[in-house]
Amino acid sequence: MGMLIRWCVACILPLLLGFAGTALAFEDDEACLMCHKYPKMGRVTEEGVQKSYYVIPEVFSKTVHRNVPCRDCHTYITELPHKPVKEGVTCNAECHSIKNPATGKPFTHKPIYDEYKKSVHGREKTAAGNDADKPYCIDCHTNPLYNATEEAPPKKIVDRCVVCHEDRKFAEKWYNHTSRRIREVKRSPQEIVALCTRCHSDKQMLERHQRTAKEEGRTLGRKFLIAGESYDESFHGKVVKYGNTKAANCLDCHANTVNYYLSVHQLIPSRDPLSPVSPQNRVQTCKQCHLMADQNYAALDPHPSSKKEDNLFKHYADMIYGIVGDSVLALLVGMAWFETWGRWRDGASWRFRNGSSWWRRTRRKSNRISP
Amino acid sequence: MKLSQQARDVLDTAKRHNRVTPEEDRDIEEIVALLPDDHAMLYKNVDSNPIGDFYRYSIHIRIQHMLIFSTFLLLAFTGLPIHYNTAFWALPFNNLLGGLDVTRVIHRTLAVTMIFAMIYHFLTIGLGTLFKVRAKVFEFGRTVLPSMKDARDIKQDMLFFAGKCDARPEMDKFMYKQKIHYFAAGFGNTVMVVSGSSFLFPDFWASVLPIQMASHFQEMMRLSHPHEALLALLVVAFWHWYNVHLAPGRFPMQWTFLTGKITREHQIEEHFLEYLRCIVTMPEERSYLRKLIEDKKIWGASSQ
Repeated sequence: MGMLIRWCVACILPLLLGFAGTALAFEDDEACLMCHKYPKMGRVTEEGVQKSYYVIPEVFSKTVHRNVPCRDCHTYITELPHKPVKEGVTCNAECHSIKNPATGKPFTHKPIYDEYKKSVHGREKTAAGNDADKPYCIDCHTNPLYNATEEAPPKKIVDRCVVCHEDRKFAEKWYNHTSRRIREVKRSPQEIVALCTRCHSDKQMLERHQRTAKEEGRTLGRKFLIAGESYDESFHGKVVKYGNTKAANCLDCHANTVNYYLSVHQLIPSRDPLSPVSPQNRVQTCKQCHLMADQNYAALDPHPSSKKEDNLFKHYADMIYGIVGDSVLALLVGMAWFETWGRWRDGASWRFRNGSSWWRRTRRKSNRISP
Repeated sequence: MKLSQQARDVLDTAKRHNRVTPEEDRDIEEIVALLPDDHAMLYKNVDSNPIGDFYRYSIHIRIQHMLIFSTFLLLAFTGLPIHYNTAFWALPFNNLLGGLDVTRVIHRTLAVTMIFAMIYHFLTIGLGTLFKVRAKVFEFGRTVLPSMKDARDIKQDMLFFAGKCDARPEMDKFMYKQKIHYFAAGFGNTVMVVSGSSFLFPDFWASVLPIQMASHFQEMMRLSHPHEALLALLVVAFWHWYNVHLAPGRFPMQWTFLTGKITREHQIEEHFLEYLRCIVTMPEERSYLRKLIEDKKIWGASSQ
């Protein structure tokens, strides 16, 4: 009987949890996939949020973190089955298994994390309150996949590598890693705008921060509440939306292009003199694209809105333009109707008949006389 | 018909400019005397060729109109999807034309073509006026320049449409509506060219303006370009097309923009002073009128 139950459990459990992948595509020395290979591995939190803890081995094996053992990041796992996770992975942790080839020390994202912490977006992983609204590393960085074309480096190159490095697989992965950086693989301008406006167009979140700043006596930028929507209305915003890659996106102006990949983690408010859009640096920033830019040019509002609190001049100019436009149109259409009525009564017809538009008889004294 | 003082002046000037012989002068005066007192009787009883009876616009003006209207419509089609980029139709419409990078090139090329048409127009009317002045046949009344008479014409026309006046005003080659439209188009084109150039060369405009004005100027131009474009498109759609296509007597269209000619009934109804010049310069028109008036017995009281 006991044997029968064990066989039934062995057959039914995979059905209940979903079928797991048949083969592991990366080293799982710590046996994490024993549980995490099941598609239905997950739970519903107290807040009603569905959490999935499923790891797809075939997919994970193609990510940039494929060589990092799970517990290098999930350092709090000390036993199996492990206890409920409270903090989760923090990106400033040190890897135990991966060495930084430049220094020979354990690899870590801590240097860039420290820069990010100093920026206006900087926060702790477990931050609460308004700080929790700020983006943490994984809000912007996913665990990107190497795509199919990157997995097939030119044979000629790999052949040369393996002369010394022997392992063809290693050479291919190394090629993927470096070629991606040489080719400056980064988000498209549209993706960057979408990423930034995910928070900077969230009215509720922005108003919450504005209220807090007011209570704390801090000043926020004039565009803080309308940064996203005013950019969308701007010339840059419109052409970027249509796929233009040369018009400025958020980071082209708000990050320093001297070391772009570093400075996107160092974003600071525009009132900070070090900001590329501060009055001190604006001309130089504009000159990246507009070569003739001078102090006058830097005085232009790059994403103006017609909101009264943002731009009084544009607000009233827009309003007057609208009123004048509507009035002119109403006047002309009214005049056209009035003329139609008047000329119709005078006998004018839409149809041309026997060489005249005036063949209808009217109450007026003058009418067309039939031949 | 007893001519008004203004009509008399136009007729006498036309006779002087055309150096009419005494016989022609007598013939013209006879015909004018025969005209019915109510000139509505004239435009209602004449026969017209829908393609046009009287020469009105030179080939240059027609080419300019072609250039302006074709570039104008295509400029609107390529520009509006960018301004109304959030509208549901904007993206597919833009993609239909080849995507933003293509439509921007089309838009700018068309803008240059439109500017060329404007220069061509100024050359045409400038040189045309110069020749007329040198030949001593220039008449201010025949130009498109506005005068106080236009204000009086508007008032009389409104009274006529309201049924408070018996006759439409005696208007010259260009009536008040055409003058309004001409100057609205001229103003609109200037605004579009200046604002368009401020998009293309923002750094140039900023450098030539005082720093206090630079941003406001750019903001005004950013407002003006789409507002003016939309207003122009709506004015063309609702008013210009009404006047040349949909108004009674003009339906389905005036052929003037192709043939350069205007119909007889239209010339008499809305450009009576210009029609008097036709009577002076066209003996065949005088013959036609004489026969028409006799056949229909519509002569005026002054012919008795």
